[in-house]
Parts: sequence; C-alpha cells; structure tokens
Amino acid sequence: MVFNSYTFIAFFIIMLILHNLPFPWKVKKVNLLLASYIFYAAWNPPFILLLWLSTVIDFFVGRALYTQPNKNKRHLLLVVSLIGNLGMLCFFKYGTFLLDNFVLICNALGFDYHPAHPNIILPAGISFYTFTTLCYTVDMYKRKSEPVKSLLDFSLFVTFFPHLVAGPIVRPPQLVPQFETPRKASKQQLTNGLLLLTLGLFMKVVLADSLLSATADAVFGFPGKLGALDAWTGVLAFSGQIFFDFAGYSTAAIGVALCLGFVLPQNFLYPYAAIGFSDFWRRWHITLSSWLRDYLYIPLGGNRQGNFKTYINIMITMLIGGLWHGANWTFVAWGGLHGLYLWAERALNYHKSSTTPLMGNSSEPMISTASIVPGLSSAKMNNGFLKALLTFLLVCITWVFFRSTTFGGAWQLLGDMFGGQAGNPPLLTTIAIIKVAVVITLMLIFHWLMRGTTVLKVAGRIPSWSVALIWSAMLILIILSQESSKSFIYFQF
Amino acid sequence: MITTRPLKLIVLTLVLVTGAAVCWELFLRGKGLKPDFDDSPELWADKRARVYEPADKTTVFIGSSRIKYDLDVDTWQNLMGTNAIQLAMVGSSPRTIFSDLANDPNFKGNLIVDVTEILFFSPAPQVSITPNEAISYYHKRTPAQKASFGLDKMLEPRLVMLDKDFYSLNGLLDHLYVPNRDGVYAGLDFPIGFHSTLFSRQNKMTDSFLADTARINKVRGIWGSLARLKSDPPVSGKALDAILFSVKHDVDQIRARGGSVLFLRTPSSGPFLMGEKMGYPKEKYWDKLLATTHCKGIYFGDHASLSNFQCPEFSHLNPHDAVLYTKGIIDILKKENRLATAIH
Repeated sequence: MVFNSYTFIAFFIIMLILHNLPFPWKVKKVNLLLASYIFYAAWNPPFILLLWLSTVIDFFVGRALYTQPNKNKRHLLLVVSLIGNLGMLCFFKYGTFLLDNFVLICNALGFDYHPAHPNIILPAGISFYTFTTLCYTVDMYKRKSEPVKSLLDFSLFVTFFPHLVAGPIVRPPQLVPQFETPRKASKQQLTNGLLLLTLGLFMKVVLADSLLSATADAVFGFPGKLGALDAWTGVLAFSGQIFFDFAGYSTAAIGVALCLGFVLPQNFLYPYAAIGFSDFWRRWHITLSSWLRDYLYIPLGGNRQGNFKTYINIMITMLIGGLWHGANWTFVAWGGLHGLYLWAERALNYHKSSTTPLMGNSSEPMISTASIVPGLSSAKMNNGFLKALLTFLLVCITWVFFRSTTFGGAWQLLGDMFGGQAGNPPLLTTIAIIKVAVVITLMLIFHWLMRGTTVLKVAGRIPSWSVALIWSAMLILIILSQESSKSFIYFQF
Repeated sequence: MITTRPLKLIVLTLVLVTGAAVCWELFLRGKGLKPDFDDSPELWADKRARVYEPADKTTVFIGSSRIKYDLDVDTWQNLMGTNAIQLAMVGSSPRTIFSDLANDPNFKGNLIVDVTEILFFSPAPQVSITPNEAISYYHKRTPAQKASFGLDKMLEPRLVMLDKDFYSLNGLLDHLYVPNRDGVYAGLDFPIGFHSTLFSRQNKMTDSFLADTARINKVRGIWGSLARLKSDPPVSGKALDAILFSVKHDVDQIRARGGSVLFLRTPSSGPFLMGEKMGYPKEKYWDKLLATTHCKGIYFGDHASLSNFQCPEFSHLNPHDAVLYTKGIIDILKKENRLATAIH
C-alpha cells in the first residue's frame, strides 16, 4: 500500500494503537513484522514469498559467513547469497532487458531469433530490499559487524514497512539495535513523526502529483516538436516531481518510523542547493550513494590506485547506479552523464588544488561520508547560489535521459530545450506554466535557505502557533489536492 | 525539538484543519451544490469487476457519454429485474472496452453497445486513451487500491469538496481562466452541474444546470467548437471495413462463449443530429454495422417512442427523459424479446 491512501491511514492508526498497548516487546515486534507483510502483500500477495526467501537465505547464510572458519566455504557461501539476491533482481528487473539486448545482438549478427516476450511483473521495491540484505551479507563476509541473533529481528530489519519498498536503504547497525530493546515513541517523537509524515505527503500529493506531474507527463509524452518554453517547463516540472515524489516518500517513511519510536537515516538534504555534483550526491538519495560508495566504489579501489583508476571507478559506480534505477539504457546514460559531471568536477578541483591550497574536509557540510569524490571545497558562499543554480540546471539535463523512455525522445527534447523553434505549436496552458514556475522557484529558494539545517530544527525555532498554521496549511492542501493513491515513482526501481 | 507541549500543537493543528474543512464544505453546500462521485478509473474498475455476474441477472452497457446520461439505471433495474453495469466512458470510443470484454474468457454476459458514430468509428488513438487507462488500472488493481476505494466510496457521497473536477486544488486553479497562448488546447471546460455522477456511473444534469440557459449554451458552444476543429473526414472504405471487421471479431468472441451483443443508437437533436446525419449517414454506418456483425440494434429514430426526445444541449437527455427513454427501450426489448435473441 502507499502512504498517500485511505488504506494506509487506517492501517497506520491500527499500528499506532497496537504498538502503544501494553504487550510484551516480542509481541509488538511480531505485530510489526506481520503488519509489514500485510503492507507489502497489499500490492501483490504472491511476491511476499520472494521477501521470505531473501530474508531466510540471508539470515542463515550471513550467520554461516560470520562463523565459518574455512575460507573456501566462506567464498562459496558468499557466492550462494549473491546468486540468490542478484539472481532474483536480474530475473525480475532485468530479465526482459537482457533478453531484448540479446535478441538485438543476435539479429545484428544475422541470426533470426525472435523469442516469446516474457511477461515479468516487477515486485515492488525489489531493488531496495535486495540492497538492504546484500549489505548484510557482505558485512558478514567481511566480519564488519556481529550477525543478527534472532530471525525475528532480521526479518523485521529487512521488512520493516516504513523503509521496505522505497528506502531509505538501511544498514543492519542502523536499525537492528533498535529492535533489541523496547521502543515506543515519546510525545515529542510522535509530534515530530506526524509533522514529517505530513510534510512527506504534502511533497508527494500536493507538489509532485497535483502541481507538477501532469505538465511533466504532457511534455515527455508529446510526440512532436516543442518550443523551448514548453520543453524547459516540462523538464523543470519533472525535476521538481522526481524530488518531491522520492524525498516525500523518504520523509514520510522517516516520520512513520519515528511515530513508532524508530529512527531511520536521512535520505535527502536539499539536493537542489548542491554546489557541484559531489555535493549533489551527498544530498540526493544519500543512503544509495553511500551504499554504492561502500559496497562498490571502495571495493573497486576507490581513489587509492591513482588518478586514472579513480576516474574509471567513478564512472563504473555511476553507470551501475544508473542501471539500478531501471532496466533501460537511458538510465545508464543518466548515470554516465553524472559520471562525466563528476569527472569534470574532479579535474577542475585537481587543477585548482595545484594552484591554490585546498580547504580541509572539516569545513565541508554534513554527510560528507556519503560522497564518493571530494566536494567543491573551494566554493565561495557569496556566489554559491549561482553555482548551485548552474548545478541544478545541469542536473535537469540528466533528468531528460532519466524520464525519457527512448534516446530518440531524449535527444528530441534536448533539441527543443536548446533550439526549440518559436513556430512549434504551443502545448502547455498558462496556468500549468505558472504552477511549475512558482513551485520550482520556491523549491530552489527553500533548498538554498535550508541547506545547512533541517525542518525539525527550524520548526523548533519558530513559535508553536506558526508551526500549527504551516502544518494545517499542508494538511488542508493535501485534502484539497485529492490525488490519493498515486504510486511513487521510485517503487518501480 | 518542535515544542515543549507537543500534544497542544497537534490539537491546535487538528482544530485548524477541521475548522477550515467544515467552513469550506458549508460554503460549497451554501451554493446549492450536492456531493457526487468522480468518474474515476477506480469507480470504473469497481463496475468492471461485476461483469461476471450471471447473464440472466446482469446487463453490461458500454459506449460514449450518451448512454451514461440516457440510461436510467434505477428504471432499468426495477423494470428488467437485472443489474445494469455501466462501463461507458465519456469522450471515448467503446471499441477498446468492447475488445477488453471480448478477450476476457470469463465474460459471458449480455452486452449493449451504444454507438455515437463520430467516436465509435473514429480511428484516432485519442479516443482510446481513457478507456486504456481504466482497463490498465482494473487489471493491475492491488488489494490496497480496492480497500482504499471501499473507504473512498463512503466519503465521496457525503462531501461536496471531494469533487475533483471543480474543487480540488487543480480544479480551482484551472478555473481561474488565465488566458492561454494562441493555439494551446486547454481541454473541454464543461460547466458545473452538467455531469453529476452517481455511484452507478450514471450521469445526470442537475436541476440548476437545466434551469440555467447560459450553462446549457456553454455546452452547446463546446459541441460547436469541436465541430469547427480541423479533423479528418469520417472514416470510410477499407479503414471502415477494418473497424467493422474488428468489431465483428469481438462480437463473435462473445457469442462463442454464449454471450449476446445488441447495438443501441441513443438520441441526439438539433444541429448536432444534423451534423451526424451528414457525416455518418445511417445506411453507411449503422446499417452496415448491424449487417456485418449480424447483431440486432435499436436506432432511436426507428421507433416512435424514442424519436421525439429533445436533448437540452443537443447530445444528451435530461434525467426525466432518460427515464422515459429507458422505459422505451425496455418495452422494445420485451416486446421483441431482443436481448435474449440478440444474436440468434
């Protein structure tokens, strides 16, 4: 089920009541686990079997990996787990894509091969829970942390409904210890959680679905040529939609967990205020970029094997990061373009550092651990906004590949953005353009003003009546939007 | 930390939200508005799921908007003693839904297909967009979406503010009527009260709409503007034959499973009817449709009891005439036992 639905409201109220009844902690955990299975099964009940399979394999393999002294057997166990997890992901997510490309290659080589087109349904959130369990397996292999003692705690770690289908991608040390001792939200946590849940729903329902999605869909779905105004408006609309949709889900997930007394990691920190692309990846989908850094970029060698290898590692990481988002070459191109941006930024930094002394990393903003390359440490705040704006516009260009289903569509839209002829028939209504202009302008200003703080910190600094007014306004707009039950974009990843 | 008194903050917020919602609802009701349902894919899917009821207890209707106004569901159910499942979709061709039912091996029931020629015989892909969305939604519907609809159907008939077309955030912004650039197609802006929707998916013009000449003229103007749009000439020749062949294929599939199909041509009047007669002469389209598919049909102009209705805006019947029209077609069906023998 999705957070923005009547079903979830009823489900969440029941969960809050059950979690606050005087049951033993183990009963409460069983409640949470069963509720998480119901939450997932509400999409497609049979896929719950995949979740069970993934959980059971990784629990027992993980424990064996940690305790097995024989190196060869440990390698074998790791391979079993990787085949189990990645095999499932490859079949469901990339099966059709791989087959299509295989057919293309066969046909290009002159073989007349036309297999039946498989009708594979993608289980919701498979990329997220695969990465969640995968990092546990790798950690056990490297003996980075202790194995989870009980199957109940491990199952709950994998399945805990707030993060299950679209993250944040949690690591065992972030969540498992929270299941070991009884937890119940304090009044303060409950209030903070409800506020974050409201904010997340406001971002999703009002901003992404109600004000931006129709414009983005119209432009990206338009088969003909567009004028530059329409093309840019559509791309800006999608840039806002994808942020509000995904960050909205993460914010709601963090809020829901907090209402139950659990803390999930931050996933977004005002990414459109990023100065440069390494800063962007410290702020956008933080738990994925840190996952890719720790389980892909660093194992590849990171920046420890010279400049050339570092560039290659960056590109491999970004290409695989792109492919993680979807089984289409356009997603790979999106990742590749970000890789090129990071290359350019690194080259620029390298050039600057050879002419001017670099500032230490200690002056970098928060979440520097999520970065896979050093940030733009020489950025001056006085012209930072312009640099952030430039970063945003360059990121917008990458979204064209992310949202387009074909390269032809992407190139056409890019052509329209930069050379759209005035003679092309106009597409968007004035009110649609105004909606996008207002939302995107306010979003950029808000991101810039909030780049060094958090919503809860700001809410703590302003009078209660102001918080109540803003909170009420968000709730009223959610009710007024009537965009319930639309799926989140990242569910398909 | 937000505040030292968090519960007070929550209560204050809830009071503000409840107060605003109540004031908004009372304001809308003060304008004489009544709650209705959004004609959404969720509502359509709810009806689509019912087509498997036994054929002797159910009749399925598909078509464009006319049958949604012209069939009075209560009258049908009372006089026929069977359920009427309304699957017609506004501004679309029924052929898409026809094919969906024909390709569903579990559908074996009675089907009545309303024919609005300009949409039914249109080869344009646009006339299939909304049916395809609804069909896709139905086939991919999750248990959570079904449950959400179950809760939604309890709220919608009780709250005017849940009218998405006019009182959602987008509905309100779109009705600010900000001028557009030349050449922008802003969609069809039907006035409030024209298409009030019941849970059965029947559309009714409200009393206030029928009493308001300006709003009726606005709808007439919309039909006029559509008629003036540059469009391809009515389909003919091989393209028409292809459409008829595909319809026959769908009919045959339903027949093969023991189902029946009957075509219906609901009334139109005034300039709309004149235009339809010129663009789609009965003998070239309607008669050919029946001849190709070997189905029976009820053309409103062929029956004295159906031929004298005047549509307020030239294309759809008012609620009072919908009852009379429904009684009229039931009389014909019973007299000629057509529904049971529609294909035999």
